[in-house]
Amino acid sequence: MSLLEVENLTKKFGGLTAVDNLSFGVEEGEILGVIGPNGAGKSTVFNCVMSRYDVTSGTITFNGDDITDTSTHKIVNKGLSRVSQESDPIDIFPVAGNIRLFTLPNSLLSLYGGADMEEIASYAARVDLQDKLEETPDELPHADVRRLEIAKALATEPELMLLDEPFAGMNQQEIRKLSEQIESLREEGMTMIVVDHNMSGLMQLVDRVVVIHNGAKLAEGTPDEIAENEDVQDAYLSGEEI
Amino acid sequence: MSSLTLIFTVLAAASSRASEVFGTIRRTILTPIGRVFDFLLAPVDRAFRPLAKVFNRTLGKFLGTVTGLQLAFVLTTFLLLLTGGIWGASIIAFEPGEGLIALDIRRPLAYACIWAVFAMGWDIQSGYTGYISFGHSVLSGGAAYTTAVLLNEVSSTLPLYVTAPISVFAAVVIGLLIALPSLRLQGPYFSLITFAAVLLFFQATRAFDILGGSAGLRITRVIPAADSFTRYYLLLIPMLLIAVALTVLSRSNYGLIFTAIRENEDAVSAAGINPTKFKIWSFLISSIVMGIGGVMLTAAVSNVDPTQFVQVDRSIEMIAMAVVGGIATVLGAMGGAFVFFLLKEVVLNLFIDEAALRLFVLFLLVVLILVFARDGLFRKLWHRLGQIGGEEP
Repeated sequence: MSLLEVENLTKKFGGLTAVDNLSFGVEEGEILGVIGPNGAGKSTVFNCVMSRYDVTSGTITFNGDDITDTSTHKIVNKGLSRVSQESDPIDIFPVAGNIRLFTLPNSLLSLYGGADMEEIASYAARVDLQDKLEETPDELPHADVRRLEIAKALATEPELMLLDEPFAGMNQQEIRKLSEQIESLREEGMTMIVVDHNMSGLMQLVDRVVVIHNGAKLAEGTPDEIAENEDVQDAYLSGEEI
Repeated sequence: MSSLTLIFTVLAAASSRASEVFGTIRRTILTPIGRVFDFLLAPVDRAFRPLAKVFNRTLGKFLGTVTGLQLAFVLTTFLLLLTGGIWGASIIAFEPGEGLIALDIRRPLAYACIWAVFAMGWDIQSGYTGYISFGHSVLSGGAAYTTAVLLNEVSSTLPLYVTAPISVFAAVVIGLLIALPSLRLQGPYFSLITFAAVLLFFQATRAFDILGGSAGLRITRVIPAADSFTRYYLLLIPMLLIAVALTVLSRSNYGLIFTAIRENEDAVSAAGINPTKFKIWSFLISSIVMGIGGVMLTAAVSNVDPTQFVQVDRSIEMIAMAVVGGIATVLGAMGGAFVFFLLKEVVLNLFIDEAALRLFVLFLLVVLILVFARDGLFRKLWHRLGQIGGEEP
């Protein structure tokens, strides 16, 4: 059984079909890449998985539970966490406070529960932010803000992490560093889905790739298979560069 | 058209002139005064530092950490409030035409305690979560009317310990009726519902005989008006207890989550926390506080009427108080209530005889504070005091 199973997912916005009868699964411990040109529907898939959007049809199961219509916070508490494409830290909290929010129990009875400073620092350390706990997000460079988003997701102790364009806006050196950090998360046993429109950056990192085009699955396979797939090359040549 | 252009040109010139003047005032008057204060207060900060250390180690987790000067400020305020029943009996004021006069301000001080409860009750929900309520007087008014109806319809001798819990409960029920349908949604829908609710309740008080119409319902005072000293303390003590309780809650996970809801509700969901649950919870806490405030006000008066207890103006005044003191601070809202109420009932009375003009000037001052001290007087003061103690700006 796959950890996450998306079956026949369709999402329509009015007359526009953003996701079209898409099925894929991710196995425990693997990194799945989901690629496709801008506007292919990648982020919409994540929004459906996290119940940010209601699905039009199809089912999503996580660890055997149907989570299609489960609300976002419950999905998170089941062990699924998402790093959004848009960074949205709370600027009036320092880095530590932003991470701490993600450790708080969803309970009215918990006045002082959640991670202490040491635990918060350990989440931050997994993405090299441990020296910036007191800084507010608006003081951080872009790459650090992106890493804070990952630290927040880690703080919910997920089994599966969805990373939406984690490399967007980073330079080569920052991409390399983040790739290494993602790699070491995998070694700790984290399952991940990484979305990107840029194939080259992703190919070293992922075990398997699903290519989405116009909301539907175009191809699926190992990075090598995908690189040689003619449909994929056509799709990219007609739209964006690889 | 050309006259419009002229008006805009004049306005633009005037506003740039105003900001110039303000800049000059800041440079030549405010900054030097600030430096003098820094110079005078720095030793106070040092003197209170050891005590602040003890405070932070023991109570810091529950009440927040302070610098020496901030602690000195809190203790002074606390002392002033505790002795208000004595010094409030006779303060020296200046009235144009009359010169120096002695004033007994224990009545306004006592009522300011009640309004401080309202302002804090509004703040812990609207100020923290950002879901602004324009109708909080529906909660306090609901509690007040419950007391009045019980006294009029059941028995005029019902004791406070019977009417008070029922009245607070009524506020909670009204709170749930408003919160459950409206707080499931994001956005301005909630504000509109609270606004409609207070208008609805105001009309109900006048439409239904059992609620006494615009004249209201007569009741017997629980707190005798004749004894200003006792009245002040009977209202001060519950106010202080609520201030401490709400400060503790605001420094707990609740405060963090409520603030996060205001700043980024989606992030709260992404953190695995149910924002709806916490929004409704904040409104319930607020309803309880408003209920207690409503009971306090009812206990101090002999008539419960729509103008004093319900009218939407009352809700707006609660907001104004919190804004003046500093939104999402609890204690700032408390201070704001005292500033606002004493301005309204004491200070402006000395200079302006006409009631309508007094209110106009009062709300003009509120607007000025919003423009020039957007974070509120007490938040600004608090940070300033912190800076003298070497805290980062």
